[in-house]
Amino acid sequence: MQWLNLLNANFRKEYIEMKRYLPNTLALLLTFYIIFLAAFFGIMFVGDPASFEANVQYSIVSVAFWSLTLMTMNFIGFSVVTEAMRGTLEQLYMSPMGVWKIMLTRIVGQFSLQLVMMVILLFAAMLTSGQWLSLNPMTTIPILTLTMISIVGVSFMIAGLAIIVKQIQAFLQIFQFVLMALVFIPLSVAPFLAFAPFVKGVDMVRMVMMENLTLSAIPLADFGFLLINSMIYFILGLFVFHRCEKLAMKKGLLGQY
Amino acid sequence: MEKIIEVRGINKQYVKRKTKEVITAVNDVSFDVHRGEVLGLLGPNGAGKTSTIKMICGLLQADAGSIHINGLDIKKKRLKALKHISAVLEGNRNLYWRLTVRENLEYFAGNRGLSRKDVKEQVEKLLKQFRLKEKENELVNGLSRGMQQKLAIAVALLANTEVILLDEPTLGLDVEISYELREILKMIVKEEKRTIIISSHDMPVVQELCDRTIIINKGTVVVDEKVENLLKLFETRAYSIKLGGTLSVAQEQQLLVKFPLCTYEGSSHETVVNINLEKSEDIYDLFDIFKAEGTVVESIDRTTIDFEQVFMEIVKGEKAYAMA
Ligand SMILES: Nc1ncnc2c1ncn2[C@@H]1O[C@H](COP(=O)(O)OP(=O)(O)OP(=O)(O)O)[C@@H](O)[C@H]1O
Ligand SMILES: [Mg+2]
Repeated sequence: MQWLNLLNANFRKEYIEMKRYLPNTLALLLTFYIIFLAAFFGIMFVGDPASFEANVQYSIVSVAFWSLTLMTMNFIGFSVVTEAMRGTLEQLYMSPMGVWKIMLTRIVGQFSLQLVMMVILLFAAMLTSGQWLSLNPMTTIPILTLTMISIVGVSFMIAGLAIIVKQIQAFLQIFQFVLMALVFIPLSVAPFLAFAPFVKGVDMVRMVMMENLTLSAIPLADFGFLLINSMIYFILGLFVFHRCEKLAMKKGLLGQY
Repeated sequence: MEKIIEVRGINKQYVKRKTKEVITAVNDVSFDVHRGEVLGLLGPNGAGKTSTIKMICGLLQADAGSIHINGLDIKKKRLKALKHISAVLEGNRNLYWRLTVRENLEYFAGNRGLSRKDVKEQVEKLLKQFRLKEKENELVNGLSRGMQQKLAIAVALLANTEVILLDEPTLGLDVEISYELREILKMIVKEEKRTIIISSHDMPVVQELCDRTIIINKGTVVVDEKVENLLKLFETRAYSIKLGGTLSVAQEQQLLVKFPLCTYEGSSHETVVNINLEKSEDIYDLFDIFKAEGTVVESIDRTTIDFEQVFMEIVKGEKAYAMA
């Protein structure tokens, strides 16, 4: 019940702020729409040059995934830095629920809102370009959700770092490109990347969408691997975040200074 | 009375980022707070009040010593202990400026695991009590500093914790709103049996609200005493002495050397000396100075003293303060 109330409060806050900052939200939507369109019209030629159409599809799925991943990954770190700057971070730390739970509920809220926006965008882009992908939501959404767990883990790691150093903007910008590489490079080219967070999931989603697979057509081993990978990154993320919090409390870094 | 907060020998040092200079903010501070008590935490700028409060909240970890809230070690059982504490921290950023008054109340309650329904009645009550009802749907961003501070306190009260910590609640507010806030706090103290720690520079706040006061200076406790005792103690040693005639230059000098904090004013036929004696015996030294030149003492009166003067005596005078 407490969890539910926490989720409710933070979901509401995310939603209210998104609504109140409608211009920002719209600008973001527009940016992604343009990126999608660019992908649709085949400006990006990455990966296997077997066929043009497959290439375009590959790019679109990758771009959608990249943007979703990027926003989710930066989210907690960005949230922490903003709270620290506004001076509300300490007040969050007065919650007996723990900041990690607050952040987890926020990211769940944020991700849901973004997922909805992304689906709308994808449809808009498909409509404009006349290129249709099989979104296959019954299969992709479970995989996506599992994959997101690892991304949330990475997000917690970044947030931990953010509590200590506060200036992470530059770091995040560089990270954005690392992320892009991770999302776009096919696993067949670099199989060891399966051990990195979320790469395996991206690969699976791409396969499902392009080959129009159903959930049962995916080998169980793949799911098992994805689950373990996600859990490890998630737990590692929480651990790093917790250690950083402790350090911040020792050094008095939670407040403004 | 039962203890709800136990602070034992806490220390805190900061290392400055740039210069690597080590600052001792809190040095071996110990005190207890009893259930239902209103404690004033006083001290000049940089004394270590905020650091002490943050350590009690677990926002800052003490380098040494221990803090227990309701028997829970804040270091080991932080989240459990936080169920018993809420706080309004220093400065004016205890709220979300982009949410409305009501949204802030509801959001922070949500962060403590309460639903909007759970707090509905209490939100209404607080909005009325703090006279924020007509502003409930306005963004905090547009409120005056005083309103924001009132809301921050309302948010802390909504948490329904036994202990509330208020760090400089009236800082930067004009006289009127600070008076209003004081009246609200007075009402809360009277109506609800909460344990409150208030750090403040605002002496009337302490004098009117607090049962007990702790004065810290340079990170150590210099006084821990009931407010009424403190006033009484100083009252018995504060004198106003009327002299027939003026003081000679030599007498003035002697006075300043022996009693640097005394003040005097007078005309050609009369002088009034106001003085706080550290020890009762000092009165003999004082009289020796007058006697030496045959100055006539016309009357001696005990003067009333307010908390501001007591504070100045203890902290600014930097005199050794020994409890009688
Ligand atoms: N995060 C920090 N990093 C470094 N030094 C700090 C930090 N916080 C406080 N200090 C220093 O520690 C000392 C005590 O500060 P503190 O804020 O506890 O005092 P205070 O009694 O609350 O003062 P004020 O009346 O100005 O609010 C000061 O010298 C201050 O400069
Ligand atoms: Mg302070």
